[in-house]
Amino acid sequence: MPLGEIGAILLVLIVVFILGQIWFHFVESILDKIKSFFKSNKKTPEWHTLPDDWEDKDCK
Amino acid sequence: MGFFSRLFKGPEIDMEKSNANAKKMRALFNQVVKDGDKYRIIFGYTEDVSRFNYGFVHGSKTKIGNLIVGWNEAEQTIVVVPTVPDLSGCSEPTYYRRSEIHKAYRNKYPTDAFIIYPDRKGYIGINAYDWLDDESLYVYVSQDDELAAFTEFFKNSFATK
Repeated sequence: MPLGEIGAILLVLIVVFILGQIWFHFVESILDKIKSFFKSNKKTPEWHTLPDDWEDKDCK
Repeated sequence: MGFFSRLFKGPEIDMEKSNANAKKMRALFNQVVKDGDKYRIIFGYTEDVSRFNYGFVHGSKTKIGNLIVGWNEAEQTIVVVPTVPDLSGCSEPTYYRRSEIHKAYRNKYPTDAFIIYPDRKGYIGINAYDWLDDESLYVYVSQDDELAAFTEFFKNSFATK
């Protein structure tokens, strides 16, 4: 197979891969927006950060 | 010689980092769980695998949730605290008391996860290993002894079948 044809096939595969990625992220973003719309009324659980003085406290 | 012996030995655990993370886990756990010191703790994680089919693009997605898992042998209780790999914070604890759960068992396939059904509707599958290398996904902690103790507790005192 000539080098040009191999290059053309590779190029097509790269284009298909990039289009697939764009399509995947496009659909994901739409689904996320729909999900966040329905979840907006739900209370998110409280998040506790590690205190700055955590090493000073007695931790076993 | 030195290179090959190191290669076959596999990755070495950074115990300094592991011990620091173990202390952080304890600090976070005690912050949100009442009488936290009455519980022994290990790191575990949940895996949520879902398949998708978006026309010509299809495959599977895996979501990993890091957990600090505490257990109290005397009270036959497991507490699960969601966290993140860098242990910068944690969420609210969930208590699974043996007397209140629907069932609990150790899975065999596809993973040897610890499965707890708080009721008939939902379940939690806790995966736990002695050490996981990928710090971007999991908490870096070495826990051979704790994992063995938790497995023993789960199989002998918590599992319902």
